[in-house]
Amino acid sequence: MTITVLVIALALCAVVLLYTAVRSRRKQSAQHVRAVDLNAFRTLMDRDDELFMKEKLPRSKFRHLKRQRIRVIVRYVRRIAANASAVLHMGEAARVSSTSEVAEAAAQVMELAGQIRVQCLLALMKLSLEYVMPSLQLTPAMLVPKYLILRENVKRLSSLQPQTPVPLATAI
Amino acid sequence: MSIESTIHGLWYVQIALQVILSSVVIGRKAWRELPGFSAYILFATSASLGKYAISRSHSGITYFYAYWICEAIAIVLGLVVVREIFMKLFAPHLALRKLATMIFRVGIIVLVAFGCAVMYAQAPDAQGWMKTLLIVEEATRIVEVGLIMFLFLSSGAFGLHWRQNIFGIALGLGIFTSVELVMLAVRLHLGPSVMGAFSLARLLAFELSLMAWIGYLLAPERATSSADVPKRAQLEQWNQAVMELISK
Repeated sequence: MTITVLVIALALCAVVLLYTAVRSRRKQSAQHVRAVDLNAFRTLMDRDDELFMKEKLPRSKFRHLKRQRIRVIVRYVRRIAANASAVLHMGEAARVSSTSEVAEAAAQVMELAGQIRVQCLLALMKLSLEYVMPSLQLTPAMLVPKYLILRENVKRLSSLQPQTPVPLATAI
Repeated sequence: MSIESTIHGLWYVQIALQVILSSVVIGRKAWRELPGFSAYILFATSASLGKYAISRSHSGITYFYAYWICEAIAIVLGLVVVREIFMKLFAPHLALRKLATMIFRVGIIVLVAFGCAVMYAQAPDAQGWMKTLLIVEEATRIVEVGLIMFLFLSSGAFGLHWRQNIFGIALGLGIFTSVELVMLAVRLHLGPSVMGAFSLARLLAFELSLMAWIGYLLAPERATSSADVPKRAQLEQWNQAVMELISK
């Protein structure tokens, strides 16, 4: 009986997943690239600031504030992840360009965007842990420098394709 | 209308849909890009036609063997299709492919272990060929459904873009294998009394998948949408909210 229930649960999870995939695919077509203010993000991630708060504030207040901070950071990380996904999507067309320079730049951009997606996943996991245990400090430190490099590469790719009307480079 | 005649009617519909889908596959020369899926569809169509001919002219035992041989080949081809989808999905993303391949392999090991556990747990009930075959099929379907789930989960986690036809193939296969798995579990638990409902649900699920495949193969690929630049006011508003929070 237990096995039957487990097997049916697995199959039903798959059905729910398929339904979610169809729904998110519809939403994806209306996906927007949103700018990320990296200075604000950096400030939010500043661990010295956090240490200062930890020292000065009562424990309950610190926990409350840290969780609030994490919620905002998560929104930033999600935005970075969504932008990286948009870059992956748009890089696909450029990757098969007949101009080797464009194809090479696109491949680089896609590689970076892929790495950022993985880092965003890790960052979200770390942030979830920190949310549960606010005293933890698991900084997703590599995200900002990587994202800056991605920005530069997307700009370079856009400059190689002046005819493309995609304002991605200025948007991310 | 009895359940047998409904099943019989749906069988004709299935063959018709399979012939249409095979024509689409041949007409679009889909084997160049999707050899695994093309083989799966062309085999399934030939198998359906062959089984129909056998059911008309041969004994039940011949049909039994034909059914299970075709089922075994279809399951193997189904797994080939899953691999093909994986390769297509991750082909442009070298960095992600390494990580995804590693997770995929771990996923296969976990699913095979789960499938073996299911077989082991149900082994004492396996009296007769029929039940043994159903248990083995259930275990292989667990692996198939799990791998399809992995494809959707990983594409969501890595933010990958599905091409129209690849998404349709994965969706169709997912619908059919999920329903098949539920029905196999129910059939094994309740016994042959639900055989009619099992066949009906299986046929309906497969027909839904066939329609999804036809639809997605015929639908034109969506053009890459250009990105929208966010409005400056929006960005300022967002930054102000963050600054307020920081200065709290």
